[in-house]
Amino acid sequence: MDAALQAAQARLRSILETVPDAMIIIDQRGSVESLSTTAERLFGYAAGEVVGRNVKMLMPAPHREQHDGYLGRYLKTGERRIIGIGRVVVGQRKDGTTFPMHLTVGELRLDHRHYFTGFIRDLTDQQMTESRLNELQSEVTHMSRFTALGEMASTLAHEINQPLTAISNYLKGCQRLLERMEGEQALVLRTAVGKAADQALRAGHIIRRLRDFVARGESERHVESLPKLIEDASTLALIGARENGVEVSFRLDATADLVLADRIQIQQVLVNLIRNAIEVMVESPNRRELEIATVANADETIEVSVADTGAGLAPEVAAHLFQPFVTTKRRGMGLGLSICRTIVEAHGGRIWVDARPGGGTIFRFTLRAAKVEEPSLAE
Amino acid sequence: MPDGTVLIVDDDAAVRSALKFALEVEGFNVRLYPGPEALLADHDLPSHGCLVVDYRMAVMDGLQLIDALRDRHVVMPAILITGRANNQLRRLAARSGVNQVLEKPLFDGALIEIIRQALGTRGL
Repeated sequence: MDAALQAAQARLRSILETVPDAMIIIDQRGSVESLSTTAERLFGYAAGEVVGRNVKMLMPAPHREQHDGYLGRYLKTGERRIIGIGRVVVGQRKDGTTFPMHLTVGELRLDHRHYFTGFIRDLTDQQMTESRLNELQSEVTHMSRFTALGEMASTLAHEINQPLTAISNYLKGCQRLLERMEGEQALVLRTAVGKAADQALRAGHIIRRLRDFVARGESERHVESLPKLIEDASTLALIGARENGVEVSFRLDATADLVLADRIQIQQVLVNLIRNAIEVMVESPNRRELEIATVANADETIEVSVADTGAGLAPEVAAHLFQPFVTTKRRGMGLGLSICRTIVEAHGGRIWVDARPGGGTIFRFTLRAAKVEEPSLAE
Repeated sequence: MPDGTVLIVDDDAAVRSALKFALEVEGFNVRLYPGPEALLADHDLPSHGCLVVDYRMAVMDGLQLIDALRDRHVVMPAILITGRANNQLRRLAARSGVNQVLEKPLFDGALIEIIRQALGTRGL
Protein backbone atom coordinates (compact mmCIF):
# COMPACT_ATOMS: atom_id res chain seq x y z
CA MET A 1 0.00 0.00 0.00
CA ASP A 2 1.49 3.35 -0.86
CA ALA A 3 2.27 5.87 1.80
CA ALA A 4 -0.22 8.50 0.60
CA LEU A 5 -3.07 6.02 0.84
CA GLN A 6 -1.97 4.88 4.29
CA ALA A 7 -1.83 8.48 5.46
CA ALA A 8 -5.30 9.14 4.06
CA GLN A 9 -6.67 6.12 5.87
CA ALA A 10 -5.07 7.17 9.12
CA ARG A 11 -6.59 10.63 8.74
CA LEU A 12 -10.04 9.11 8.15
CA ARG A 13 -9.64 6.87 11.20
CA SER A 14 -8.72 9.78 13.38
CA ILE A 15 -11.64 11.80 12.06
CA LEU A 16 -14.05 8.98 12.75
CA GLU A 17 -12.72 8.55 16.27
CA THR A 18 -13.02 12.18 17.20
CA VAL A 19 -15.89 13.62 15.19
CA PRO A 20 -18.65 14.48 17.67
CA ASP A 21 -21.36 13.47 15.22
CA ALA A 22 -22.42 9.95 14.48
CA MET A 23 -21.13 9.14 11.00
CA ILE A 24 -21.54 5.99 8.96
CA ILE A 25 -20.00 5.28 5.58
CA ILE A 26 -21.58 2.66 3.35
CA ASP A 27 -20.88 1.40 -0.14
CA GLN A 28 -23.39 1.22 -2.95
CA ARG A 29 -24.73 -2.15 -1.82
CA GLY A 30 -25.49 -0.76 1.64
CA SER A 31 -22.59 -2.52 3.31
CA VAL A 32 -21.02 -0.53 6.17
CA GLU A 33 -17.40 0.52 5.43
CA SER A 34 -16.72 2.36 8.64
CA LEU A 35 -18.42 4.32 11.38
CA SER A 36 -17.49 6.93 13.94
CA THR A 37 -17.05 6.21 17.62
CA THR A 38 -20.10 8.34 18.35
CA ALA A 39 -22.14 6.18 15.98
CA GLU A 40 -21.01 3.05 17.82
CA ARG A 41 -22.14 4.57 21.10
CA LEU A 42 -25.42 5.84 19.65
CA PHE A 43 -26.49 2.50 18.23
CA GLY A 44 -24.90 0.40 20.98
CA TYR A 45 -22.77 -1.69 18.63
CA ALA A 46 -18.99 -2.14 18.45
CA ALA A 47 -17.54 -1.33 15.02
CA GLY A 48 -16.73 -5.00 14.47
CA GLU A 49 -20.38 -5.96 14.77
CA VAL A 50 -21.44 -3.55 12.04
CA VAL A 51 -18.62 -3.17 9.52
CA GLY A 52 -19.17 -5.34 6.47
CA ARG A 53 -22.85 -5.83 7.28
CA ASN A 54 -25.83 -4.17 5.65
CA VAL A 55 -26.67 -0.80 7.21
CA LYS A 56 -30.35 -1.74 7.30
CA MET A 57 -29.62 -3.48 10.61
CA LEU A 58 -29.67 0.00 12.15
CA MET A 59 -33.21 0.69 10.97
CA PRO A 60 -36.60 -0.50 12.16
CA ALA A 61 -39.18 -1.94 9.79
CA PRO A 62 -40.38 -0.97 7.19
CA HIS A 63 -37.13 0.77 6.17
CA ARG A 64 -35.17 -2.31 7.10
CA GLU A 65 -36.92 -4.23 4.35
CA GLN A 66 -36.89 -1.37 1.92
CA HIS A 67 -33.47 0.22 2.23
CA ASP A 68 -31.82 -1.93 -0.44
CA GLY A 69 -34.64 -0.85 -2.73
CA TYR A 70 -34.05 2.84 -1.90
CA LEU A 71 -30.38 2.47 -2.82
CA GLY A 72 -31.13 0.58 -6.01
CA ARG A 73 -33.67 3.16 -7.08
CA TYR A 74 -31.26 6.01 -6.48
CA LEU A 75 -28.47 4.33 -8.43
CA LYS A 76 -30.87 3.68 -11.28
CA THR A 77 -32.74 6.98 -11.44
CA GLY A 78 -30.41 9.45 -9.72
CA GLU A 79 -33.48 10.87 -8.04
CA ARG A 80 -32.53 12.34 -4.67
CA ARG A 81 -34.91 11.78 -1.83
CA ILE A 82 -32.52 12.16 1.05
CA ILE A 83 -29.04 12.89 -0.33
CA GLY A 84 -28.20 16.52 0.29
CA ILE A 85 -31.68 17.08 1.70
CA GLY A 86 -31.73 15.50 5.13
CA ARG A 87 -34.76 14.35 7.04
CA VAL A 88 -35.98 12.96 10.30
CA VAL A 89 -36.05 9.18 10.38
CA VAL A 90 -36.10 6.49 13.04
CA GLY A 91 -33.03 4.50 14.04
CA GLN A 92 -32.90 1.20 15.89
CA ARG A 93 -30.37 0.44 18.61
CA LYS A 94 -28.76 -2.93 19.27
CA ASP A 95 -31.27 -3.57 22.07
CA GLY A 96 -34.16 -3.10 19.64
CA THR A 97 -35.29 0.29 20.96
CA THR A 98 -35.94 3.05 18.44
CA PHE A 99 -35.21 6.74 18.47
CA PRO A 100 -35.83 9.71 16.20
CA MET A 101 -32.78 11.03 14.42
CA HIS A 102 -31.91 13.60 11.82
CA LEU A 103 -30.07 12.05 8.90
CA THR A 104 -28.10 13.86 6.21
CA VAL A 105 -26.44 11.85 3.48
CA GLY A 106 -23.48 12.85 1.36
CA GLU A 107 -22.29 11.00 -1.71
CA LEU A 108 -18.79 10.21 -2.93
CA ARG A 109 -17.95 8.68 -6.29
CA LEU A 110 -14.64 6.90 -6.79
CA ASP A 111 -14.09 5.45 -10.22
CA HIS A 112 -17.40 3.76 -10.86
CA ARG A 113 -18.23 3.14 -7.27
CA HIS A 114 -20.53 5.14 -5.02
CA TYR A 115 -20.05 5.65 -1.31
CA PHE A 116 -22.57 7.31 0.95
CA THR A 117 -21.79 9.05 4.22
CA GLY A 118 -24.59 9.42 6.72
CA PHE A 119 -24.40 12.15 9.37
CA ILE A 120 -26.71 11.43 12.24
CA ARG A 121 -28.01 13.67 14.98
CA ASP A 122 -29.87 11.98 17.80
CA LEU A 123 -33.11 13.86 18.38
CA THR A 124 -34.22 11.94 21.45
CA ASP A 125 -33.58 14.74 23.91
CA GLN A 126 -33.94 17.60 21.52
CA GLN A 127 -36.67 20.07 21.24
CA MET A 128 -37.86 18.83 17.89
CA THR A 129 -39.09 22.19 16.76
CA GLU A 130 -37.77 22.00 13.27
CA SER A 131 -38.11 18.35 12.69
CA ARG A 132 -40.43 16.68 10.28
CA LEU A 133 -41.74 14.64 13.17
CA ASN A 134 -42.97 17.77 14.81
CA GLU A 135 -44.47 19.04 11.61
CA LEU A 136 -46.29 15.78 11.17
CA GLN A 137 -47.45 15.84 14.73
CA SER A 138 -48.82 19.35 14.60
CA GLU A 139 -50.47 18.73 11.26
CA VAL A 140 -52.17 15.68 12.62
CA THR A 141 -53.21 17.18 15.95
CA HIS A 142 -54.51 20.30 14.27
CA MET A 143 -56.44 18.15 11.90
CA SER A 144 -57.79 15.94 14.61
CA ARG A 145 -59.00 18.91 16.60
CA PHE A 146 -60.64 20.22 13.48
CA THR A 147 -62.17 16.87 12.71
CA ALA A 148 -63.30 16.45 16.31
CA LEU A 149 -65.21 19.70 16.00
CA GLY A 150 -66.70 18.56 12.72
CA GLU A 151 -67.56 15.22 14.22
CA MET A 152 -69.32 16.85 17.14
CA ALA A 153 -71.26 19.12 14.80
CA SER A 154 -72.33 16.25 12.59
CA THR A 155 -73.25 14.12 15.61
CA LEU A 156 -75.29 17.01 16.94
CA ALA A 157 -76.98 17.39 13.55
CA HIS A 158 -77.82 13.69 13.54
CA GLU A 159 -79.10 13.72 17.12
CA ILE A 160 -81.37 16.70 16.49
CA ASN A 161 -82.53 15.34 13.17
CA GLN A 162 -84.07 12.31 14.85
CA PRO A 163 -86.55 14.16 17.12
CA LEU A 164 -87.17 16.56 14.25
CA THR A 165 -88.14 13.63 12.04
CA ALA A 166 -90.55 12.50 14.74
CA ILE A 167 -92.00 16.00 15.16
CA SER A 168 -92.51 16.55 11.46
CA ASN A 169 -94.22 13.20 10.97
CA TYR A 170 -96.55 13.67 13.95
CA LEU A 171 -97.46 17.09 12.58
CA LYS A 172 -98.02 15.72 9.10
CA GLY A 173 -100.41 13.10 10.46
CA CYS A 174 -102.23 15.77 12.46
CA GLN A 175 -102.56 17.97 9.40
CA ARG A 176 -104.14 15.14 7.45
CA LEU A 177 -106.60 14.38 10.24
CA LEU A 178 -107.49 18.05 10.57
CA GLU A 179 -108.13 18.33 6.84
CA ARG A 180 -110.88 15.81 7.28
CA MET A 181 -112.50 17.69 10.18
CA GLU A 182 -114.95 20.50 9.88
CA GLY A 183 -115.82 23.50 12.01
CA GLU A 184 -114.13 26.63 13.22
CA GLN A 185 -111.95 24.92 15.81
CA ALA A 186 -110.55 22.56 13.21
CA LEU A 187 -109.63 25.60 11.13
CA VAL A 188 -107.84 27.25 14.06
CA LEU A 189 -106.00 24.01 14.80
CA ARG A 190 -105.00 23.60 11.16
CA THR A 191 -103.42 27.05 11.18
CA ALA A 192 -101.60 26.40 14.44
CA VAL A 193 -100.32 22.99 13.37
CA GLY A 194 -99.22 24.47 10.05
CA LYS A 195 -97.22 27.10 11.91
CA ALA A 196 -95.66 24.47 14.12
CA ALA A 197 -94.65 22.60 10.96
CA ASP A 198 -93.06 25.80 9.60
CA GLN A 199 -90.97 26.07 12.74
CA ALA A 200 -89.87 22.47 12.50
CA LEU A 201 -88.86 23.22 8.92
CA ARG A 202 -86.88 26.22 10.14
CA ALA A 203 -85.01 24.05 12.65
CA GLY A 204 -84.33 21.62 9.81
CA HIS A 205 -82.75 24.39 7.74
CA ILE A 206 -80.45 25.32 10.60
CA ILE A 207 -79.34 21.72 10.91
CA ARG A 208 -78.72 21.57 7.19
CA ARG A 209 -76.59 24.70 7.33
CA LEU A 210 -74.58 23.24 10.17
CA ARG A 211 -74.02 20.08 8.17
CA ASP A 212 -73.00 22.02 5.08
CA PHE A 213 -70.54 23.96 7.18
CA VAL A 214 -68.99 20.74 8.42
CA ALA A 215 -68.94 19.35 4.90
CA ARG A 216 -67.07 22.41 3.64
CA GLY A 217 -64.03 21.33 5.61
CA GLU A 218 -64.05 18.22 3.51
CA SER A 219 -60.88 16.72 2.39
CA GLU A 220 -58.49 17.46 -0.41
CA ARG A 221 -57.67 14.25 -2.12
CA HIS A 222 -54.59 13.50 -4.15
CA VAL A 223 -52.87 10.45 -5.47
CA GLU A 224 -50.64 9.36 -2.61
CA SER A 225 -48.20 6.54 -2.05
CA LEU A 226 -49.75 4.29 0.59
CA PRO A 227 -46.42 2.86 1.82
CA LYS A 228 -45.19 6.44 2.32
CA LEU A 229 -48.38 7.36 4.19
CA ILE A 230 -47.95 4.33 6.42
CA GLU A 231 -44.29 5.16 6.95
CA ASP A 232 -45.03 8.73 8.03
CA ALA A 233 -47.92 7.73 10.27
CA SER A 234 -46.02 4.91 11.92
CA THR A 235 -42.92 7.05 12.45
CA LEU A 236 -45.14 9.24 14.55
CA ALA A 237 -47.27 6.60 16.19
CA LEU A 238 -44.53 4.11 17.02
CA ILE A 239 -42.21 6.36 18.99
CA GLY A 240 -41.88 4.68 22.35
CA ALA A 241 -43.47 1.43 21.18
CA ARG A 242 -40.26 -0.60 21.45
CA GLU A 243 -39.60 0.74 24.91
CA ASN A 244 -42.97 -0.72 25.89
CA GLY A 245 -41.96 -4.10 24.54
CA VAL A 246 -44.12 -3.88 21.43
CA GLU A 247 -42.82 -5.86 18.44
CA VAL A 248 -43.79 -4.15 15.22
CA SER A 249 -43.99 -5.81 11.84
CA PHE A 250 -45.10 -4.64 8.42
CA ARG A 251 -46.58 -6.82 5.72
CA LEU A 252 -47.09 -4.47 2.80
CA ASP A 253 -48.45 -5.76 -0.49
CA ALA A 254 -46.08 -4.50 -3.20
CA THR A 255 -49.03 -4.05 -5.56
CA ALA A 256 -50.89 -1.88 -3.03
CA ASP A 257 -49.17 1.36 -3.88
CA LEU A 258 -51.12 4.41 -4.95
CA VAL A 259 -54.36 5.53 -3.31
CA LEU A 260 -56.63 8.51 -3.73
CA ALA A 261 -56.59 10.09 -0.31
CA ASP A 262 -56.31 13.13 1.88
CA ARG A 263 -52.85 12.43 3.24
CA ILE A 264 -53.28 13.99 6.65
CA GLN A 265 -56.70 12.51 7.26
CA ILE A 266 -55.57 8.98 6.44
CA GLN A 267 -52.48 9.48 8.58
CA GLN A 268 -54.81 10.50 11.35
CA VAL A 269 -56.76 7.27 10.97
CA LEU A 270 -53.53 5.25 11.04
CA VAL A 271 -52.06 7.11 14.02
CA ASN A 272 -55.31 6.60 15.87
CA LEU A 273 -55.49 2.88 15.17
CA ILE A 274 -51.79 2.31 15.94
CA ARG A 275 -51.86 4.31 19.20
CA ASN A 276 -55.01 2.45 20.26
CA ALA A 277 -53.35 -0.88 19.48
CA ILE A 278 -50.28 0.03 21.53
CA GLU A 279 -52.42 1.27 24.42
CA VAL A 280 -54.46 -1.92 24.69
CA MET A 281 -51.35 -4.09 24.50
CA VAL A 282 -49.51 -2.14 27.17
CA GLU A 283 -52.50 -2.76 29.44
CA SER A 284 -52.44 -6.50 28.90
CA PRO A 285 -49.92 -9.08 30.07
CA ASN A 286 -49.94 -10.92 26.70
CA ARG A 287 -47.14 -10.78 24.20
CA ARG A 288 -47.22 -7.48 22.37
CA GLU A 289 -47.20 -7.81 18.60
CA LEU A 290 -48.40 -5.12 16.29
CA GLU A 291 -48.79 -5.87 12.61
CA ILE A 292 -49.56 -3.30 9.96
CA ALA A 293 -50.53 -4.84 6.64
CA THR A 294 -51.92 -3.92 3.25
CA VAL A 295 -53.60 -6.05 0.62
CA ALA A 296 -54.71 -5.00 -2.85
CA ASN A 297 -58.18 -6.34 -3.60
CA ALA A 298 -59.50 -7.33 -7.00
CA ASP A 299 -62.16 -4.58 -6.94
CA GLU A 300 -59.58 -1.76 -7.02
CA THR A 301 -59.67 -1.18 -3.32
CA ILE A 302 -56.83 -1.60 -0.89
CA GLU A 303 -57.36 -2.99 2.56
CA VAL A 304 -55.21 -1.68 5.37
CA SER A 305 -55.15 -3.52 8.67
CA VAL A 306 -53.72 -2.87 12.12
CA ALA A 307 -53.62 -5.99 14.28
CA ASP A 308 -52.82 -6.17 17.98
CA THR A 309 -52.45 -8.97 20.53
CA GLY A 310 -54.33 -7.11 23.27
CA ALA A 311 -57.23 -8.39 25.33
CA GLY A 312 -59.66 -8.22 22.41
CA LEU A 313 -63.14 -6.70 22.34
CA ALA A 314 -66.37 -7.93 23.83
CA PRO A 315 -69.01 -8.32 21.07
CA GLU A 316 -71.31 -5.76 22.67
CA VAL A 317 -68.49 -3.22 22.68
CA ALA A 318 -67.50 -4.05 19.11
CA ALA A 319 -71.02 -3.34 17.86
CA HIS A 320 -70.98 0.26 19.07
CA LEU A 321 -67.29 0.95 18.66
CA PHE A 322 -67.53 3.41 15.80
CA GLN A 323 -70.34 5.46 17.30
CA PRO A 324 -69.44 8.82 18.74
CA PHE A 325 -69.00 9.17 22.51
CA VAL A 326 -68.48 5.44 22.99
CA THR A 327 -65.21 4.71 24.76
CA THR A 328 -63.51 1.96 26.73
CA LYS A 329 -60.87 4.35 27.99
CA ARG A 330 -60.98 6.03 31.35
CA ARG A 331 -60.02 9.29 29.73
CA GLY A 332 -61.14 10.10 26.24
CA MET A 333 -64.16 11.46 24.49
CA GLY A 334 -64.92 8.41 22.42
CA LEU A 335 -64.48 10.35 19.21
CA GLY A 336 -61.33 8.71 17.82
CA LEU A 337 -62.90 5.74 16.06
CA SER A 338 -65.97 7.69 15.14
CA ILE A 339 -63.70 10.19 13.38
CA CYS A 340 -61.87 7.31 11.71
CA ARG A 341 -65.17 6.07 10.36
CA THR A 342 -66.18 9.52 9.13
CA ILE A 343 -62.84 9.90 7.34
CA VAL A 344 -62.81 6.43 5.81
CA GLU A 345 -66.42 6.70 4.63
CA ALA A 346 -65.77 10.14 3.17
CA HIS A 347 -63.02 8.43 1.16
CA GLY A 348 -65.54 5.93 -0.14
CA GLY A 349 -64.21 3.13 2.04
CA ARG A 350 -65.38 1.02 4.94
CA ILE A 351 -63.92 0.45 8.38
CA TRP A 352 -64.62 -2.53 10.58
CA VAL A 353 -63.17 -4.65 13.30
CA ASP A 354 -62.46 -8.38 13.48
CA ALA A 355 -61.30 -10.59 16.30
CA ARG A 356 -57.69 -11.66 15.75
CA PRO A 357 -57.27 -15.44 15.65
CA GLY A 358 -55.26 -16.31 18.74
CA GLY A 359 -56.42 -13.25 20.66
CA GLY A 360 -56.49 -9.53 20.07
CA THR A 361 -58.16 -7.31 17.55
CA ILE A 362 -57.73 -6.38 13.89
CA PHE A 363 -58.98 -3.06 12.64
CA ARG A 364 -59.41 -2.96 8.89
CA PHE A 365 -60.32 -0.23 6.46
CA THR A 366 -60.43 0.11 2.71
CA LEU A 367 -59.28 2.87 0.41
CA ARG A 368 -59.77 3.27 -3.29
CA ALA A 369 -56.68 2.40 -5.30
CA ALA A 370 -55.50 5.09 -7.71
CA LYS A 371 -54.64 4.16 -11.25
CA VAL A 372 -50.95 4.22 -12.02
CA GLU A 373 -50.48 6.92 -14.60
CA GLU A 374 -47.21 8.52 -13.69
CA PRO A 375 -44.85 6.99 -11.20
CA SER A 376 -43.74 10.47 -10.19
CA LEU A 377 -47.19 11.13 -8.73
CA ALA A 378 -46.16 8.93 -5.86
CA GLU A 379 -43.90 11.52 -4.34
CA MET B 1 -107.23 2.20 1.51
CA PRO B 2 -103.83 1.22 0.08
CA ASP B 3 -103.10 -2.46 -0.05
CA GLY B 4 -99.90 -3.81 1.51
CA THR B 5 -97.83 -3.28 4.63
CA VAL B 6 -95.08 -0.78 5.37
CA LEU B 7 -92.22 -2.27 7.40
CA ILE B 8 -90.25 0.35 9.28
CA VAL B 9 -86.78 -0.40 10.68
CA ASP B 10 -85.26 2.41 12.73
CA ASP B 11 -83.44 2.26 16.06
CA ASP B 12 -85.04 5.50 17.28
CA ALA B 13 -88.36 4.78 19.03
CA ALA B 14 -89.78 8.28 18.50
CA VAL B 15 -89.04 8.19 14.78
CA ARG B 16 -90.68 4.78 14.49
CA SER B 17 -93.85 5.75 16.25
CA ALA B 18 -94.17 9.09 14.44
CA LEU B 19 -93.81 7.37 11.07
CA LYS B 20 -96.41 4.81 12.13
CA PHE B 21 -98.82 7.60 13.08
CA ALA B 22 -98.32 9.56 9.85
CA LEU B 23 -98.58 6.47 7.66
CA GLU B 24 -101.62 5.00 9.42
CA VAL B 25 -103.44 8.28 8.98
CA GLU B 26 -102.81 7.78 5.27
CA GLY B 27 -104.39 4.35 5.54
CA PHE B 28 -101.29 2.13 5.41
CA ASN B 29 -100.76 -0.97 7.52
CA VAL B 30 -97.55 -0.44 9.45
CA ARG B 31 -95.20 -2.80 11.27
CA LEU B 32 -92.33 -1.52 13.39
CA TYR B 33 -88.92 -3.09 14.02
CA PRO B 34 -86.39 -1.56 16.41
CA GLY B 35 -83.44 -2.95 14.45
CA PRO B 36 -82.27 -5.28 11.68
CA GLU B 37 -82.17 -8.30 14.00
CA ALA B 38 -85.87 -7.91 14.83
CA LEU B 39 -86.82 -7.85 11.15
CA LEU B 40 -84.60 -10.80 10.30
CA ALA B 41 -86.15 -12.73 13.20
CA ASP B 42 -89.68 -12.15 11.82
CA HIS B 43 -90.49 -15.29 9.83
CA ASP B 44 -93.94 -14.11 8.92
CA LEU B 45 -93.15 -11.21 6.61
CA PRO B 46 -96.06 -9.94 4.51
CA SER B 47 -95.98 -11.00 0.88
CA HIS B 48 -96.90 -7.50 -0.27
CA GLY B 49 -94.96 -4.84 1.54
CA CYS B 50 -92.54 -1.94 1.38
CA LEU B 51 -89.44 -1.50 3.52
CA VAL B 52 -88.52 1.84 5.08
CA VAL B 53 -85.05 1.36 6.56
CA ASP B 54 -82.81 3.74 8.46
CA TYR B 55 -79.24 3.70 7.17
CA ARG B 56 -77.21 4.23 10.32
CA MET B 57 -77.91 1.55 12.92
CA ALA B 58 -75.63 -0.15 15.42
CA VAL B 59 -74.85 -3.75 14.54
CA MET B 60 -75.78 -3.79 10.88
CA ASP B 61 -76.49 -0.79 8.67
CA GLY B 62 -79.61 -0.40 6.56
CA LEU B 63 -77.92 -1.54 3.35
CA GLN B 64 -76.47 -4.64 5.00
CA LEU B 65 -80.00 -5.48 6.18
CA ILE B 66 -81.40 -5.06 2.67
CA ASP B 67 -78.61 -7.25 1.26
CA ALA B 68 -79.30 -9.89 3.93
CA LEU B 69 -82.99 -9.91 2.96
CA ARG B 70 -82.14 -10.31 -0.71
CA ASP B 71 -79.91 -13.25 0.19
CA ARG B 72 -83.01 -14.78 1.72
CA HIS B 73 -84.93 -14.06 -1.47
CA VAL B 74 -87.20 -11.56 0.23
CA VAL B 75 -88.15 -9.29 -2.66
CA MET B 76 -89.73 -6.06 -1.57
CA PRO B 77 -89.33 -2.44 -2.60
CA ALA B 78 -87.04 -0.60 -0.18
CA ILE B 79 -86.63 3.04 0.80
CA LEU B 80 -83.54 4.11 2.70
CA ILE B 81 -83.88 7.04 5.11
CA THR B 82 -80.77 8.78 6.39
CA GLY B 83 -79.54 11.99 7.96
CA ARG B 84 -77.18 12.70 5.12
CA ALA B 85 -77.15 11.14 1.69
CA ASN B 86 -74.01 11.72 -0.34
CA ASN B 87 -73.38 10.40 -3.83
CA GLN B 88 -71.38 7.50 -2.51
CA LEU B 89 -74.28 6.32 -0.37
CA ARG B 90 -76.70 6.75 -3.27
CA ARG B 91 -74.46 4.60 -5.45
CA LEU B 92 -74.18 1.89 -2.81
CA ALA B 93 -77.94 2.02 -2.24
CA ALA B 94 -78.63 1.65 -5.95
CA ARG B 95 -76.31 -1.36 -6.02
CA SER B 96 -78.34 -2.93 -3.19
CA GLY B 97 -81.52 -2.39 -5.18
CA VAL B 98 -82.91 0.44 -3.05
CA ASN B 99 -85.68 2.32 -4.85
CA GLN B 100 -85.10 5.68 -3.21
CA VAL B 101 -82.86 7.38 -0.66
CA LEU B 102 -84.58 10.09 1.39
CA GLU B 103 -82.99 12.52 3.82
CA LYS B 104 -84.43 13.01 7.28
CA PRO B 105 -86.27 14.86 8.72
CA LEU B 106 -88.67 13.93 5.87
CA PHE B 107 -90.57 17.25 5.81
CA ASP B 108 -92.15 17.00 2.41
CA GLY B 109 -94.66 14.36 1.42
CA ALA B 110 -92.11 12.41 -0.66
CA LEU B 111 -92.03 9.37 1.63
CA ILE B 112 -95.78 8.79 1.46
CA GLU B 113 -95.82 9.32 -2.29
CA ILE B 114 -92.98 6.87 -2.89
CA ILE B 115 -94.48 4.22 -0.62
CA ARG B 116 -97.77 4.57 -2.46
CA GLN B 117 -96.01 4.09 -5.80
CA ALA B 118 -93.89 1.21 -4.52
CA LEU B 119 -96.87 -0.69 -3.18
CA GLY B 120 -98.73 -0.02 -6.39
CA THR B 121 -95.99 -1.45 -8.53
CA ARG B 122 -95.46 -4.59 -6.47
CA GLY B 123 -91.95 -5.98 -6.28
CA LEU B 124 -88.86 -4.47 -7.82
